[in-house]
Amino acid sequence: MTAPDGERPVALTCGEPSGIGPEIAAHAWERLEGRLPFFWIGDPAHLPRGVPVREIADPGETASHCATALPVLPHPFPAPNRPGRPDPDNAAAVIEVIARAVKLAMTGAASAVCTAPIHKKALKDGAGFAYPGHTEYLAHLGGVDRVVMMLACPGLKVVPVTIHIPLAEVPGALTPALLRDTIRITAAAMARDFATPGARIAVAGLNPHAGEGGAMGREEIDLIGPVLDGLRAEGLAILGPLSADTMFHAGARARYDVAVAMYHDQALIPVKTIDFAGGVNVTLGLPFVRTSPDHGTAFDIAGRGLADPTSLIAALRMARDMARARAA
Amino acid sequence: MTTNKPRIAIIPGDPSGIGPELIAKLLHEDGVREAADILLVGDGHLWRQGADQAGVSLPLEAVAEDRIGLQAGLGWLPMETIAQEEVQIATVSEASGRSSLRCLDKALDLAVAGQVDGILFAPFNKAALTAAGMNAEDEHRYMARYLGFEGYHGELNVLDDLMTTRVTSHIGLKDVARNITAEGVEKAIGLAEDTLKRAGHARPRIAVAALNPHAGDNGKFGREEIDILEPVIRAAQDKQRDVTGPWPSDTVFLKARRGEVDAVVTMYHDQGQIAIKLLGFERGVTVAGGLPIPIATPAHGTAFDIAGQNRANVGATRQAFDLLVRMARTHRANRAAA
Repeated sequence: MTAPDGERPVALTCGEPSGIGPEIAAHAWERLEGRLPFFWIGDPAHLPRGVPVREIADPGETASHCATALPVLPHPFPAPNRPGRPDPDNAAAVIEVIARAVKLAMTGAASAVCTAPIHKKALKDGAGFAYPGHTEYLAHLGGVDRVVMMLACPGLKVVPVTIHIPLAEVPGALTPALLRDTIRITAAAMARDFATPGARIAVAGLNPHAGEGGAMGREEIDLIGPVLDGLRAEGLAILGPLSADTMFHAGARARYDVAVAMYHDQALIPVKTIDFAGGVNVTLGLPFVRTSPDHGTAFDIAGRGLADPTSLIAALRMARDMARARAA
Repeated sequence: MTTNKPRIAIIPGDPSGIGPELIAKLLHEDGVREAADILLVGDGHLWRQGADQAGVSLPLEAVAEDRIGLQAGLGWLPMETIAQEEVQIATVSEASGRSSLRCLDKALDLAVAGQVDGILFAPFNKAALTAAGMNAEDEHRYMARYLGFEGYHGELNVLDDLMTTRVTSHIGLKDVARNITAEGVEKAIGLAEDTLKRAGHARPRIAVAALNPHAGDNGKFGREEIDILEPVIRAAQDKQRDVTGPWPSDTVFLKARRGEVDAVVTMYHDQGQIAIKLLGFERGVTVAGGLPIPIATPAHGTAFDIAGQNRANVGATRQAFDLLVRMARTHRANRAAA
């Protein structure tokens, strides 16, 4: 399928150049052959040899070149990219590339931002990067306080309410305000970015069997249930709290458009089990569209030609589709 | 001299549900009657009910209790646990619960006496069992208590070649972390190893799931992996046991699916149950692990919504039967050697 005339391209960041970011960008371009216009921001010297590259000065040139070469908006880095060994001298440039992509999306030159994985420790050590991760930095650039992470694979979109915290801290971190805001942002994004107004939102319980009437935990009764009742009163189509173990098989998934999970693995286990290679990470609540593959820098295989671009291609595709929905 | 063919007692489960229909269907599956000598334990009208519901024939050849050891092929130990007119399809009833418990008690007695090598039960209805006075939280604890068994035991969930045990089960999530102890983890690993050995695995490969996201990411999101799981796993490895982990729980089930491990030890209920129910909602099996007698059942329930309509899928019951036969064979061989 070809892009409609005048459709703006997706901006893809290089991510940590010592990881698999540059090679999966090249492989994604080889597989897509221009059918999904995107341009890469990074140092052309970091790309694997053998892939045709076309340096561009403006994202608007993407469409004319993407069928024959990977369009690259050059961003020079001070050091080469030794596979698996991030260079502290490159840290500042990695961060600049992210900011540049966001700016292009905010000004309308790019339709969306797709980010390749970064290595937080390398950025912290090399450039004093103070954000816990990509997402928090993007929220800062976008000028918003609260964003929501969504994981998506064919057949399932799921949003974890709490993310990178110990399991022991999950019940304490789960507040009515956090749950309410997360579901509201999710509902708004389903309408704006996924063309699903009035989305059916299935919310998992925290406890086994969703607490079974309070026999195995009271959060469903004391916290989750009342928040969901309030959201229903606002007109949202909410199911739950549901028993998490029976809400993710194919038959159950047919009954909702997006799921909300209470903690990281409650969301990640179904996504990875359904589709290990094709999962996409989406940030909801930003003033621009942002997706990323749901894997890391993979230092152990970087530069060896083993990296799989499947998740990146899915992320590019989702960015394109979300941008179209937002523009419609 | 006994043959190596195990003898399996099958009980109908809750008479109001899909149990009798499932067993009638099971007995017409290819290879089932050849794999074991089968003793149906229950009321004749219940077995006839199942055959009628399934639209199959089921010849019942009564066996006297003192002749069970001589029975070969398919036999039936007559019981009178519920009157035919008391059976109400798709209804929770005390009479059905009482019938379930009496058949179960009899099967357990036969196993203790060495007359059968394993028990397959069709789904019970928990509310019916409770109404009938089951003095335990669930049927697994009931069976342990009936057998006077005080050792470590617990439910194992099995899907195809993947088995899971769990360190914590039906407790609130806020109580999970503090119940992850070295002793609990070691017992859950041991339960998986022991059950797999009984099912014929000489050297079971066990993967231990982490508690925290990304297995704690070197202590950033929780320290249980470092403080509790890793020492237990290392100690097991030092004894040449094939135990690995702690693995991030979002990818450990893929290892299992690829056939790299035989069992996953999970930390909490939904960790394993989400993956198992996603991968095979209709094929899951529950094993009453740790008990001195092999006992298995399909993981699904009595399915009152489709009871009596010949719509029940026999898949999980077949999987439970096949696994039970492997365990019963080992049990029989061990008894013969003792």
